[in-house]
Amino acid sequence: MSLIVDLLLMLFDVTYSILCAVVRTFLHPRLKSIDGELCLITGAGGVLGRHFALEFAKEGAHLILWDCNTAANEQTAQLARKLGVEVRTYTVDLSKRQSIYETAERVRAEVGDVSILVNNAGVVAGQRLLECPDELLERTLLVNCHALFWMTKAFLPQMKARNHGHIVTIASALGLFTTACVVDYCASKFGAVGFHESLAHELRAENHYGIKTTLVCPYIIDTGMFAGCEIRKEIQSLIPPLEPLYTAQQSMKAILGEQEMVCIPRIMYIPFIARALLPWEANVVTYRFMGGDKCMLPFIKNAEMKTLNGHMKSSNDAV
Amino acid sequence: MELKSACRMLLFPIQMFYHIVRAGLLSLLPSSKKDLSKEVILITGGGRGIGRHLAKEFAKQGAKKVILWGRTEKCLKETAEEISLSGSECCYFVCDVANREEVYKQAKVVREKVGDVTILVNNAAVVHGKSLMDSDDDALLKTQHINTLGQFWTTKAFLPRMLELQHGHVVCINSILSQSPIPGAIDYCTSKASSLAFMESLTLGLLYCRGVSCTTVLPFHTNTEMFRGMRVRFPQLFPPLKPEIVAQKTVDAVRTDKAFLYLPWTMHALVILKSFMPQVALEEIHRFSGSYTCMNTFKGRT
Repeated sequence: MSLIVDLLLMLFDVTYSILCAVVRTFLHPRLKSIDGELCLITGAGGVLGRHFALEFAKEGAHLILWDCNTAANEQTAQLARKLGVEVRTYTVDLSKRQSIYETAERVRAEVGDVSILVNNAGVVAGQRLLECPDELLERTLLVNCHALFWMTKAFLPQMKARNHGHIVTIASALGLFTTACVVDYCASKFGAVGFHESLAHELRAENHYGIKTTLVCPYIIDTGMFAGCEIRKEIQSLIPPLEPLYTAQQSMKAILGEQEMVCIPRIMYIPFIARALLPWEANVVTYRFMGGDKCMLPFIKNAEMKTLNGHMKSSNDAV
Repeated sequence: MELKSACRMLLFPIQMFYHIVRAGLLSLLPSSKKDLSKEVILITGGGRGIGRHLAKEFAKQGAKKVILWGRTEKCLKETAEEISLSGSECCYFVCDVANREEVYKQAKVVREKVGDVTILVNNAAVVHGKSLMDSDDDALLKTQHINTLGQFWTTKAFLPRMLELQHGHVVCINSILSQSPIPGAIDYCTSKASSLAFMESLTLGLLYCRGVSCTTVLPFHTNTEMFRGMRVRFPQLFPPLKPEIVAQKTVDAVRTDKAFLYLPWTMHALVILKSFMPQVALEEIHRFSGSYTCMNTFKGRT
């Protein structure tokens, strides 16, 4: 008897939440205020990280900026301070667990409890699997995926204690479907998505409803990270690489609207759903049609040229 | 060039329709299976669980040689002896796939002592089975290293030769938890998701290499020691899979060059639901089906 009641309740709840989600897509959700909250952004020295810092600063959040590049991080901090918020910078190597834990301790001691965590930092090896040095492959996974474990372990307890917080994972469209030549990046981003969803389920299972989670899956962004990546010419004009500012703004809308997941641009929902619905061979046809099988080749070549130039430069320096 | 483009645009919906119909028909009709009599198969984690059954099944279906890799010599020895007794060639080497140098060293040993591996089965996996905050950091990392990075190293060790020979097959025993995570297994879900992406990217990268194929198997909860203690709410509706069945279906998929296999086929419904349902709705379904509490009784391997 209780099973039937449970089943009916479940079906009712499921229908209700689907209807809510549909309504939310059409009506603009109320955006929450984060004025005075403490927001930590990793990779804040990078193009996208900088835009995030400025967007959060516009909303009145105080910032903690983490990056491995001290100079770039400071530049972001200076721009954000002009918007009137307090900003602290820390130089961290996200591939080292101890670096993360030690810096997190310092943040707690020097500033306070972080209430919004934006896991934005990301790297890519830029070489095919069989040609790529093992250390580079491992580094991509360490920074893009394993770092999330340590970041969450460092900052979640404070959020749980106050039952208040927001964890944002900037994954990628390549965390929802893959492409050739960037095996390390796809593996790390799928891992980030898997981690984020597991975490979200864990928080809900433990009834921590005050801690929100948002998964951001943007298409390729024009930050230079994937410079050269090109899908089929005719479609490239329809779906060009995203502007970093636009990506940050759309992500902010999702974060402030407490949306659990957002694909940018929204057309990305189509391959995401098609991947589950259609048989593999049909997905391969679409992949080839979109030029996905060749899209990373110019990017790999670019990365190769950069490495070669780097070697040539250093040998000149030696002379 | 313009005409070529226009033709491709028109061909696209026709190709899509053809593949959708073909997939539907193939699932109903039997397909031709490739012969295993010349294949040398290496199975990581081959000493127990699904790996052990895979080794037995490959031997049963006529594989030339079966090589087992694992960490526990006792299990490897037992499995190798059992298979050798049944008449097939089987040997083992102790190798921890998390250790990159060991993988490369043992791969060289295999090449010298046995020959070129033509089918690589990445099956080795562990699970810590605790919530994130209760998990030990080293245990979290160990899962990532065995389940995900281990596959990078084994593939780097054996794929180049397969490409040279224009003949080979890379198989991965993944899990439905890579697509539909649950609480209490965050290390496992993350590592399996990474591993799925690795395989999918590899499969796409090998599209133009005719002789080398990939197969990824995503089973539901399988009745082995690894997930001992895990209990869903409706075990009659969703019984755990038998490892012998998983092994048999995997070998069939390898022999028919099937790229992705969900076991049971009803898992497709779960993946489809997950692709469009809002998280709150999924939460309700998970709570009802007992996924939120199934890892509470988890014991794992002793």
